Amino acid sequence: MTRRTAQIAGAGLALLLAWLVLFPILVVAREAADGTALRAFFRAGEWSALWASVWISLASVALAAAIGVPLAFLFEWFDFPGRKTLGSLVALPVVLPPLVGVIAFLFLYGESGFIARAVQALFGLPEAPWRLQGPAAILLVHAYSMYVYFYLFTRAGLAKLDVSMLEAAQALGAGRWATIRRVVLPLVRPSLVGAAILTFMTSLGSFSAPYVFGGGFRVMTTQIVATKLNGDLPLAMVETLALAVVAVAGLLILRRTEGDDILVALGKGIAPRPRPIRRPGIRALATVAGWGFAVLLLLPHLTLALVSLVPYGAWTTQILPPVLSLENYRRLFSEAERLRPLLNSLWMALVSTGAAVVLALAAGWLIVRRRIALRRAIEGLLALPWALPGTVFAIALAMTFSVHAPPLRWVLVGTAAILPLAYLVRALPLTGRALLAGYRQLDPALEEAAASLGAGRWRTLARVTLPQLRPGLAAGASLAFVAALGDIVASIVLYTYETRPISIEILSSLRLSETGVAAAFGVVLMVVSALVLGIGARR
Amino acid sequence: MTAFLGVEAIEKRWPDTTVGPITLDIARGEIVALLGPSGSGKTTMLRLLAGFETPDGGRIVVEGEDVTTTTPARRRFGMVFQHYALFPHLDVGENVAFGLRGQADAAQKAGEALRLVDLAGFERRKVQELSGGQQQRVALARALAPEPRVLLLDEPLSNLDPALRERTRRELRQLIKRVGITTVFVTHEQEEAFDLGDRIAVLSAGRLEQVGAPDELYERPATLFVATFVGRANVFRGPAARALGGDAVVVVRPERLRFADAGLAGVVRERRYTGAAAFYMLEGDGGERFEVLAEPDAADIGDRVFVQAERMIRFTENGR
Repeated sequence: MTRRTAQIAGAGLALLLAWLVLFPILVVAREAADGTALRAFFRAGEWSALWASVWISLASVALAAAIGVPLAFLFEWFDFPGRKTLGSLVALPVVLPPLVGVIAFLFLYGESGFIARAVQALFGLPEAPWRLQGPAAILLVHAYSMYVYFYLFTRAGLAKLDVSMLEAAQALGAGRWATIRRVVLPLVRPSLVGAAILTFMTSLGSFSAPYVFGGGFRVMTTQIVATKLNGDLPLAMVETLALAVVAVAGLLILRRTEGDDILVALGKGIAPRPRPIRRPGIRALATVAGWGFAVLLLLPHLTLALVSLVPYGAWTTQILPPVLSLENYRRLFSEAERLRPLLNSLWMALVSTGAAVVLALAAGWLIVRRRIALRRAIEGLLALPWALPGTVFAIALAMTFSVHAPPLRWVLVGTAAILPLAYLVRALPLTGRALLAGYRQLDPALEEAAASLGAGRWRTLARVTLPQLRPGLAAGASLAFVAALGDIVASIVLYTYETRPISIEILSSLRLSETGVAAAFGVVLMVVSALVLGIGARR
Repeated sequence: MTAFLGVEAIEKRWPDTTVGPITLDIARGEIVALLGPSGSGKTTMLRLLAGFETPDGGRIVVEGEDVTTTTPARRRFGMVFQHYALFPHLDVGENVAFGLRGQADAAQKAGEALRLVDLAGFERRKVQELSGGQQQRVALARALAPEPRVLLLDEPLSNLDPALRERTRRELRQLIKRVGITTVFVTHEQEEAFDLGDRIAVLSAGRLEQVGAPDELYERPATLFVATFVGRANVFRGPAARALGGDAVVVVRPERLRFADAGLAGVVRERRYTGAAAFYMLEGDGGERFEVLAEPDAADIGDRVFVQAERMIRFTENGR
């Protein structure tokens, strides 16, 4: 391909991506410039939802750090029986779709969940001892699922630490706590900030936890969807724009505290090896803490599996379900109407992931290999959907593609195309980042060697480039697939009865009190997600 | 001699190897090199002295105080790490003042330490911006600033480029002598050990082979290992050893072999010219190869010659 055709292809790709991720936001911005809606937004209720989003997100960061950071130190620095297995088990919640975690929490800690029932029976209370609702419930779910970011990032940061840094501090008279405070924490700061950014953004965009547990308490994501469903479109646009602005502002502010990645800047390092704990008391404590954490963190999912085995109407007031059977799974797979959401989710996730991979491959090749003029623009467009909460894009796509105004706007809402398109937008940052990183690590000499050995462009791609990119490709694609499979926020805005995905079916089963079926769907989602991510993580 | 720093039968056991027991007395102000190939246990020795490893047996005593179980933080031993381990999140001045926490005159002392290593005024520089040699001196200033009792150096010059090493070696020795601090350093290079150390402890496979001044090690090696590890050495056994007038095992330095009319016969295979002299690689009748240092025009490749030993070091069959 000549330089000129590469530039043209790059321009085409940039235009396509701009249409996909930027244009809908611009449509929202234009619609939001509506005097009445703006005035409506400045009434009290809106600000409290926005403020709720912000403080919930900040509190989620604090709670997630409070759990994840000590856990990372425990597993990275100390050796105790079961350390390796538990170390990967406690990272599990991050690979599961948020909705699965949320309903699992509901079944465990909700007002008719196991714990509530047990307490009620134990003390002979007339009704459930608590309701899992409001900000505390949301924070509980957030902390439970997002501590994993801090846990993984901090562990990665600690693993990069040079053991001689710690020894140098000790040789200079610093005790254990002084070493952690004065040397370790400053050195892992980039990791901590990275985890904080991820937690903040995830929490700001979190939909299922506030949707299921919020009750009367509204955050911006649920507020937007409620406004949209009430039919007040201009106000929904203003809200969407406000959330987008907060997200970008939060991202920029957090980025500034990141600092340089100083760990790589100096010399080589050997990470400290986990120290066996010698004192028996401490050792027992660490072991109990490690196992306790793992059980506590996995308990909701075990609950989900158990609930999925309870047939409809079989469990009323008992502490434990009286009957267990595979009835729910049988119904799920034998009734066409119940099987359809599963098939819908699978094909839509597959199509959107495939498209995201193809676009990312093209982008990676044009940006890294051909160094086209528009490379920064393309990279920015690929990353943009990550910086904005899913609700923003869901609303933006719903707005943009409900009007017939070719060539930019088509009526896609209500068709089978809109959900895969929405999933594709969310998938672009995941596949884009993975493939750009893969391309940058790829030695161009390999492709040149293939060419000098007589391989044409496609043969080089198939036999040399793709096999080299495979680990990153598999990781990015599996994340994108799982995100699409478990998506709720785009789905709830854009689904039709024909194209309804698993998440919508779970919610409607819950509404019909068919908890067993909802749980069975949750388990299927969980198992498929874990399998796909397991395959994606294989080297 | 009452030792300032006493290592008494110190021993460290790993699942697959053992270092020690090693006994070593070090005088106040002395510079001792721990010399040995990799895996000889020299780094383990240094880490035992620093307190990063706990010995399985033996004691470490400083000025009569048993510090065997004292933590590194309370031991007051300064350490310069192989890759310096400068804190990248702190500037030069903060790095040097790290060990002076809580002292009112920390800034002043840090400044003095930097002046000592010729880096006065470098306080606000980032450590990443310094050259390798400057980083090494910052690490030295940082270790010396808290006025430790003992200075430990792990391969202090291995990270510098060769052109810089010789000069740095001289300056380092002058500086240590000026401060007067008792110093132990690790190296695998004989030249570095000779230049920098007052005495050298040669280690091999976890055992202390010999301790002594450079000329003592070179002229009177205690074991065959020391003879061959320190300086160039030809080892002769059996008939070749007897042809030179020795018996079981004989070690002769290349400069102690000279061409003669009779003695051990050999053919010149290679000649390597060094300017003032030339190394001749000879092959004996028994296939043994050895080196002779002689005048540049003493022989040609292919010549059949005889050599005699002016001075030889004798060992028994087991290398003692």
